Amino acid sequence: MNIIVCVKQIPDPETPAASFKVDEAAKKVIPAQGIAPVVNPYDPQATEAALRLKDADGGGKITVISLGPDTARDAIKHALAMGADEGVLISDPAFASIDNFQTAAALAAAIEKVGDADLILMGRAAADWDMGVVPAGVGQILGLPVVTVAKGIEKDGDGLTVTRVLDDGFQTVKAPLPAIVSVSNEFGEPRYPQLRQIMMAAKKTVQVWSAADLGIDTGASVMPLEALYQPKVESNVEIIEGDTPEEKARNLAQKLRAAKLV
Amino acid sequence: MDFALTPIQEEIRAGVSQIMRGFPDSYWLEHDESGEFPVEFTTAMAEGGWLGIAMPEQYGGSGLGVADAAILMHTVAKSGGAMSAASAIHINIFGPNPIVVFGNEEQRQRWLPPLIRGETRTCFGVTEPTAGLDTSSIQTRAVRDGDQYIVNGQKIWTSTAQEADKILLLARTTPREQCERPFDGISLFFTNLDREFVQIREIQKMGRHAVDSNEVFFDNMPVPVEDRIGEEGKGFQYLLHGLNPERVLVASEAIGIGEEALSRAASYARDRVVFGRPIGQNQGIQHPLAESWAELQAAWLMTMRAAWLYDQDLPCGPEANGAKYLAAEAGKRACERAMITHGGLGYAKELHIERLYREVLINWIAPVSPHLILSNIAEKALGLPKSY
Ligand SMILES: Cc1cc2nc3c(=O)[nH]c(=O)nc-3n(C[C@H](O)[C@H](O)[C@H](O)COP(=O)(O)OP(=O)(O)OC[C@H]3O[C@@H](n4cnc5c(N)ncnc54)[C@H](O)[C@@H]3O)c2cc1C
Repeated sequence: MNIIVCVKQIPDPETPAASFKVDEAAKKVIPAQGIAPVVNPYDPQATEAALRLKDADGGGKITVISLGPDTARDAIKHALAMGADEGVLISDPAFASIDNFQTAAALAAAIEKVGDADLILMGRAAADWDMGVVPAGVGQILGLPVVTVAKGIEKDGDGLTVTRVLDDGFQTVKAPLPAIVSVSNEFGEPRYPQLRQIMMAAKKTVQVWSAADLGIDTGASVMPLEALYQPKVESNVEIIEGDTPEEKARNLAQKLRAAKLV
Repeated sequence: MDFALTPIQEEIRAGVSQIMRGFPDSYWLEHDESGEFPVEFTTAMAEGGWLGIAMPEQYGGSGLGVADAAILMHTVAKSGGAMSAASAIHINIFGPNPIVVFGNEEQRQRWLPPLIRGETRTCFGVTEPTAGLDTSSIQTRAVRDGDQYIVNGQKIWTSTAQEADKILLLARTTPREQCERPFDGISLFFTNLDREFVQIREIQKMGRHAVDSNEVFFDNMPVPVEDRIGEEGKGFQYLLHGLNPERVLVASEAIGIGEEALSRAASYARDRVVFGRPIGQNQGIQHPLAESWAELQAAWLMTMRAAWLYDQDLPCGPEANGAKYLAAEAGKRACERAMITHGGLGYAKELHIERLYREVLINWIAPVSPHLILSNIAEKALGLPKSY
């Protein structure tokens, strides 16, 4: 089975709140000083899913695609170190501030250029913007079925059986191949690269494709960003007094009722 | 000047952190209490290829530098595994260095691959009860007898000898009186630790109970000539070559432990409320922790610089020694401060601070004491008369 995994490099979600800043005028996140970007945490799960499917299937190839700046190479190398076979970086100044639809268009073009994919896996969302729409966008463009938020994926004859995570339970669906599946954290812990694999990945070359290589013009943003700002969160703490625990509880209950919270 | 980690170093840190998450505090505390060697951990590290990080690729290693190995050991020690984890693999990482540099091809083929795969466990026999830091005074003798040597004598503190099947052994082959210089006449062997001729007695010690240290007694132990590394009589020079990277690794381990203690202290100081405010709001608590932060950062930079020098094939004696000194002091102080920040709980096993403290003291004492480091720096970096 030939699988393509799309991975994204994002600002470290563990960045302390105090270091997270946005440039409201430029509508951009200012990269935090000294904090390196990381692989979107859902993406190694997509890679893990690809590796397990390839193992179970006993063959095929896993190609990793990332759209981003040159540093996104590290996200690809991580997937290669986990065991993926090949890497492609889509990098072009024209892609510097594109929206989700343009991203989907670029990824779709790259997926077609890689060619011959039975399955395309992605993380359920990118933890920076947390929109989770790119899988659907790519599916729309390529005319492929899309199954989102998977916690389990199994090859089933010519198709797949996918278990999805819902708010109140799980749902099992079947999908024909080729298909696009976005993988959720419930899929389970991704494997960690062994040192030998890290070294092998370091030696592999990552192909770099520009907009011209893909033969696409991203065009104007479909969903332009109107404003970017950090909301001000105000909170205050009130200590409920009372001589006994019972009295404190009573006073607390009265407060909550007065505030119409209970 | 580039202070950033390379992508491979980032992967090392991430990959090793992930392994270490499989060995939580409770694992190390249990092993500290039972004294059992952390086999599951060493197996995981061997399977991941981590033991060969600094070994040449043609023998199954990864051919990376001491800086990369230091990042590995820093991550291991920082996980909460402290020296129980670090010492369990430390010898595999730096120990075979003399074999790589001074061994012949046949020896490298014979010894390195099983060491890297974790199939061979070795220990390191330098220290002796009557010689101490004055290594030229070692008494263990290897006397040539045809195509073998016969070894008699005693080593002390030999770590992991209980598990080891091999020993990297320093022994006198020519009596000191017959040598021109005190460090001549010492040879280095890598050989079987043959229980038939060796007695091993574990030393009861303050911490790191999971990784044994021992008295080792040799009684007419035969050692084939093929197990001698390099030329006879040059063993001490061979040993010296591996000392600087070892200092760097010991430094990185001490810093890892100190940082872990510090981060636990800061988190406790944020949460623990006494006199109606978090204890961390008092400068009496804050300042020592902040000072430790600065000390650990400085020690790390020195460690990385020493590693960089070594990896560039540049002399790094005073730097590696200085890094070990600063790191051990900083690590020890951070643990001490973490303990007082936790108040009574710092002394409780449950919070692991006392364990980190007991273990970081090893990096302070061994493999070389602060006194000897300072004497060496005074001599080598400052041109003062040699005092030892
Ligand atoms: C947990 C642990 C594990 C160890 N593992 C190993 C191992 O695997 N293999 C191995 O070979 N060794 C090992 N060692 C031994 C360690 O390297 C030695 O303990 C260390 O080198 C100090 O030697 P010593 O104990 O003989 O101290 P000594 O040499 O007796 O020194 C005692 C004190 O006197 C000071 N001193 C001595 N001479 C001078 C001087 N000229 N000026 C100022 N002060 C001086 C020293 O600094 C020290 O403080 C281990 C030690 C420990 C604690």
